[in-house]
Amino acid sequence: MLHELKTEASPLSERQIDCLQQGLDQLDPSQTAWLSGYLAGRLAADRPAAVPTPDVTVLQVLYASQTGHGEALAAGLAETATAAGFSVRARNVLDLRPAEIRRLEYAVFVISTHGEGDPPDDAIDLFDYLQSGRRPALDGLKFSVLALGDRSYEQFCAAGRNLEDLLLACGAQAFAPRVECDVDYDQDAAQWSEQVIAHVRENQVGPDSGAETQRRPAHLSVVSSAPAWGRSRPFPATVERLQRITGPDSTKEVYHIELSLEDSGLHYEPGDALGVWAPNALESVEALLAVLNIDPATSVEVDDGEFTIRELLIHHRELTRLAPETIKGFAALGRDDSLQRRLDACDEKDLRRFIEERQFIDLVEAFPATVTAADLAGLLRPLTPRSYSIASSQAAVDAQVHLTVVTKIDQAPGGRRYGLASHYLNNRLQTGDEVGVFLEPNRRFRLPEDRSTPLILIATGTGIAPYRAFLQQLEEEGQSPRTWLIFGNPHLRSDFLYQREWLRWRKNGFVQRIDGAFSRDQEAKHYVQDVVRARAPDICEWLDAGARIYLCGALAMGDAVETALRQAVAGQRGLDQQAANTFMSDLRRDRRLLKDLY
Amino acid sequence: MKKPDTNLSPVERIKARSDFLRGTLVASLADSATGALAEDDTQLSKFHGFYQQDNRDLREDRRRRLLEPDYQFMIRARVPGGVCTPGQWLKLDEIARLWANGTLRLTTRQAFQLHGVLKRDLKNSIRAINDSLLDTIAACGDVNRNVMSSAVPEHSALHREVHDLARAVSSHLTPRTTAYHEIWLSDGGPRQRVAGSAVPDAEPLYGPVYLPRKFKMAFAVPPRNDVDVFAHDLGFIAIADKNVLAGFNVTVGGGMGMTQADPATYPRLAEVIGFCKPEQVLAVSEAVLTLQRDYGDRTNRKHARLKYTIDDRGLDWFRAEFERRLGDSLAAARPWEFSDNGDRYGWQEGDDGLWHLGLFIENGRIADHPGAEHLSGLREIAKRLEGEIRLTPNQNLVLANVPPAQRADIDALVRAHGLDGFRQASPLRLHAMACVGLPTCGLAMAESERYLPELVGRIEASMAGHGLGREAITIRMTGCPNGCARPYLAEIGLVGKGPGLYDLFLGAAFDGARLNRKYRESVRENDVLDLLDELFGAFVSDRKTGEHFGDYLLRAGFLDDCAAPGPGRDVPL
Ligand code: SRM
Ligand SMILES: Cc1cc2nc3c(=O)[nH]c(=O)nc-3n(C[C@H](O)[C@H](O)[C@H](O)COP(=O)(O)OP(=O)(O)OC[C@H]3O[C@@H](n4cnc5c(N)ncnc54)[C@H](O)[C@@H]3O)c2cc1C
Ligand SMILES: Cc1cc2nc3c(=O)[nH]c(=O)nc-3n(C[C@H](O)[C@H](O)[C@H](O)COP(=O)(O)O)c2cc1C
Ligand code: SF4
Repeated sequence: MLHELKTEASPLSERQIDCLQQGLDQLDPSQTAWLSGYLAGRLAADRPAAVPTPDVTVLQVLYASQTGHGEALAAGLAETATAAGFSVRARNVLDLRPAEIRRLEYAVFVISTHGEGDPPDDAIDLFDYLQSGRRPALDGLKFSVLALGDRSYEQFCAAGRNLEDLLLACGAQAFAPRVECDVDYDQDAAQWSEQVIAHVRENQVGPDSGAETQRRPAHLSVVSSAPAWGRSRPFPATVERLQRITGPDSTKEVYHIELSLEDSGLHYEPGDALGVWAPNALESVEALLAVLNIDPATSVEVDDGEFTIRELLIHHRELTRLAPETIKGFAALGRDDSLQRRLDACDEKDLRRFIEERQFIDLVEAFPATVTAADLAGLLRPLTPRSYSIASSQAAVDAQVHLTVVTKIDQAPGGRRYGLASHYLNNRLQTGDEVGVFLEPNRRFRLPEDRSTPLILIATGTGIAPYRAFLQQLEEEGQSPRTWLIFGNPHLRSDFLYQREWLRWRKNGFVQRIDGAFSRDQEAKHYVQDVVRARAPDICEWLDAGARIYLCGALAMGDAVETALRQAVAGQRGLDQQAANTFMSDLRRDRRLLKDLY
Repeated sequence: MKKPDTNLSPVERIKARSDFLRGTLVASLADSATGALAEDDTQLSKFHGFYQQDNRDLREDRRRRLLEPDYQFMIRARVPGGVCTPGQWLKLDEIARLWANGTLRLTTRQAFQLHGVLKRDLKNSIRAINDSLLDTIAACGDVNRNVMSSAVPEHSALHREVHDLARAVSSHLTPRTTAYHEIWLSDGGPRQRVAGSAVPDAEPLYGPVYLPRKFKMAFAVPPRNDVDVFAHDLGFIAIADKNVLAGFNVTVGGGMGMTQADPATYPRLAEVIGFCKPEQVLAVSEAVLTLQRDYGDRTNRKHARLKYTIDDRGLDWFRAEFERRLGDSLAAARPWEFSDNGDRYGWQEGDDGLWHLGLFIENGRIADHPGAEHLSGLREIAKRLEGEIRLTPNQNLVLANVPPAQRADIDALVRAHGLDGFRQASPLRLHAMACVGLPTCGLAMAESERYLPELVGRIEASMAGHGLGREAITIRMTGCPNGCARPYLAEIGLVGKGPGLYDLFLGAAFDGARLNRKYRESVRENDVLDLLDELFGAFVSDRKTGEHFGDYLLRAGFLDDCAAPGPGRDVPL
């Protein structure tokens, strides 16, 4: 079956093809399917890889994802579609060249929103292209958008909406309505997928038939053996160590947490994140129910079954992150119109601030309302897991996974309020307890395949976590590329996370250079972007040597550092703004500027 | 003679490659990843007047937090002869509050120490000290240290004359390297260059590797031995004819420090080697210092002080080599008499009609505590004082040369800020002294400054029980055998050995002219109290009139079985 590959165009030699043929002949169909999935998965993992230009008449599942949800959904859709007999593969929009975009015929986009209404980094070039002067005519394209987002953000699903608008403006047609998903996207996404597949089936997109799929399994794109543990089936990891790692007088409460993945079979790479399910605290739930005068044992029926309201609130509903719907729904149940009037007086910005400063208990305490258990179940959004960058390498810690978590503490009108998951991890858990976790692979934030690539690692706060994983990995491998850590936090004395380890790595030659930007150690605030600016010549010298730049930590830091980098390069090389922008987008495209911001 | 290079102690090599004390200090200061200096620079920093330390109370906790030790610096400011102006005081006070831990520490060598200064604030602090016309260079390191001089001789003119000489020797023996100015006082400009190459630095007196070890000098004005003249490498005992300075008896080879369980190290009293004229003081100092520079042991820092050079080669050899260098010989020593090695408290009139107020500062630590706002109080006093401030060799203070008209004002301020502790404190407490010890001193093995006040309280109770409440007994504690509070010259000496564990030394002379002896090893507080209680009992019943506790213990035979501290003598001459 591989003889058709014996063509001029084939990158393989005849010998290679014969070898492959021999090997493949010994496989049964399911083994062949598995292997093809494996190869595709590897292709997706190794970049930049020379992927042969796909058959553009096939439905394309394109995704732009930052934290991996969209990517997983796209892969799932491709898998379903393939199982249904179509030749479908999921691709990152980053890999689309302009020529391919112009030739797209059927495409669906899975795209999340990040930053403040921004598209994921991988989609920046696509967005730029679609709104540039040379934007393509896409009259031949039929598409649909699945937008991922989070209603608690001001610009809900803005990137998906904007993408649709841009495509429409280029003349493309939407073959199915855009679907906007909140954090509990499973159902909405499944419905949208069905719609897409139904549409494709009706319109017989592409040349494929079931028989052909059998014949060309290489178009399968996803490893089909789904991992046993996942978002909806978290692994109960045992807490083995909980250690505060900021000094006693630090304004930040940061913990180093070691969890055991023993016997889970889970494997992660440096750069990946861990999803953590955190239940609400029994006391908070009971306090809330007491204020509302609801018997905790009241039974309520929801989509996933019947629960006592106590149980539902602990394990299935968000109490700390408010969504606009929740507030509006709650206002409607008010015993007076004080909340409603308050909301009416709010513009979007005010509403945002209102939300950020409050948890549900703050609403309940401040605005009297008559609320039943069933009301509550409907008002509150489903509980979502939180992501934490993994701070360890399995090469060094085997079956453990380490996290670096800062407790989110806010001053609400009703007093101090803690973030759900960070408080759970740092303050409520004790060693020996179990916590439900799952892996969130992040292929966009890995060490370079070529381990000799110089690394510039820029982080603020807990953003240092994945770099610890990188260094553990490099140390275990005995690799020491030129590495430069630029780290920012308030005070050197109390807030240099993992300081002893970093100093040890520096001493042993695994890190060549560390610049601390400790913002409050001197009168004038001093941040990581200031280091980038002050060290512009060195930054450029490292870039010339092929360095990759990683950014991890707060969103605002990411923007500031990118600006500083652009200025540094422009200044050193004498580039005008246009050229500097091009330089930056080339860096991004070449995956030499990688970001993990939250 | 100079030993072959291979045997040199590591510090010698660091000095040799330091380019006149530069090392990599500038890079160390700029390293934003750590609060510490590069390892070699922690040796060189001493010559610039500061020590790298860490808060030892926090060590274990920070290790668990994966943070480096709580690195911080102790800066020592030299105050030659212990005399500073109110303006200088105010500056130090400001630095203490801005960049240090909010306290000022008066040392046993009449200098200031600031603790808890972070690396980022070193430059500001050192600059500010220099702005005040005090300095930090050579406050520590293998050089001549702060030169001491009796705080309040009865005769003002004599004090001034001796003090002026102390200052002159101090500046004569100050290192000449330009590194200090370059690193701390200039605005980061590179070293001055001429025709492309750096102007070579030079140390005419010290040479590029400085001394083998620290070198200490003191001037005593009898009858006061507050400086403990016999504890110094080089000492001058002023001899006056009818209140006019005639010259000095010269003492050499004193030192306190010893090392735990190393019998080759020991405290040693200085020996009197003759008499010199005031105009010979510089030459004598230079001769002794260069002799030690050339013959001191550079292979073993535990054995590198002048006292070992003398004991190894004999006093005769020393005298010959010294006289060769001096180009002269000393006259015969003249008689003198010391009364005590403590301080005087309260008002005292000088012979020029100006007044001196001795203030008790427990262990030299000046801080603000509720009811005892000493730091604030002294700030207020310094703002008004029409006189000078003297740091005493026993970690206390004298407000000196106060016009009679200002006495009442000063008294009011002293009372208002709880600085009049000397009025109530027992003589035992007024004669107590403790080194810094934990948590800053890296060498401490037991508590010292933080603990002695409590212990004194308990000993006071015991003494009161024997009717000894008004008896003056010198008691000194150190956190290790290095002897920073000169514990071997106290009637009761407690030398730290481990947490809560001390060696008990007894029987030194009240005037500092005889070392004590180790009476018991490794005792805890209860043992100390029991042992002392018993001895107080014997003392009360058997003492001769006016006999001091230390003298009594020796005479009554309590110390007969206790070995003398080393091959050196335990009484001078
Ligand atoms: C502050 C002071 C004690 C006090 O409570 O006032 C002090 C404090 C320290 N001394 Fe001292 N010495 C101080 C007077 C003394 C004295 C008393 C004197 O000079 O009259 C002695 C005994 C005399 C002598 O030198 O023999 C003394 C003998 C030592 C030694 C042992 C030296 C030796 O050769 O045996 C050390 C350890 C060393 O140098 O290796 C030492 C080392 C130290 C250090 C710097 C610890 C270190 O090397 O890391 C201590 C700093 C503690 C801290 O946290 O501040 N210190 N030190 C005194 C500062 C004097 C000054 O202003 O310069
Ligand atoms: C890829 C990724 C990696 C991450 N890595 C780390 C890491 O290594 N370490 C780490 O500490 N964190 C990391 N985070 C952040 C982490 O996922 C959580 O967001 C953070 O810990 C806060 O969650 P929480 O449950 O404690 O607080 P929440 O319960 O989610 O937040 C509670 C409070 O936040 C306020 N609030 C602020 N903004 C909003 C909003 N838009 N909507 C609603 N409420 C808001 C409210 O007052 C609320 O009370 C990462 C995030 C991502 C996406
Ligand atoms: C730092 C950050 C910022 C976000 N900003 C928004 C936003 O502005 N609007 C929105 O609808 N969702 C926002 N989200 C939510 C994500 O879009 C949502 O979590 C989505 O499921 C992520 O999909 P992905 O993993 O494919 O990137 C944000 C998430 C993060 C972590
Ligand atoms: S005697 Fe020892 S413990 Fe006390 S300050 Fe000196 S070196 Fe430190």
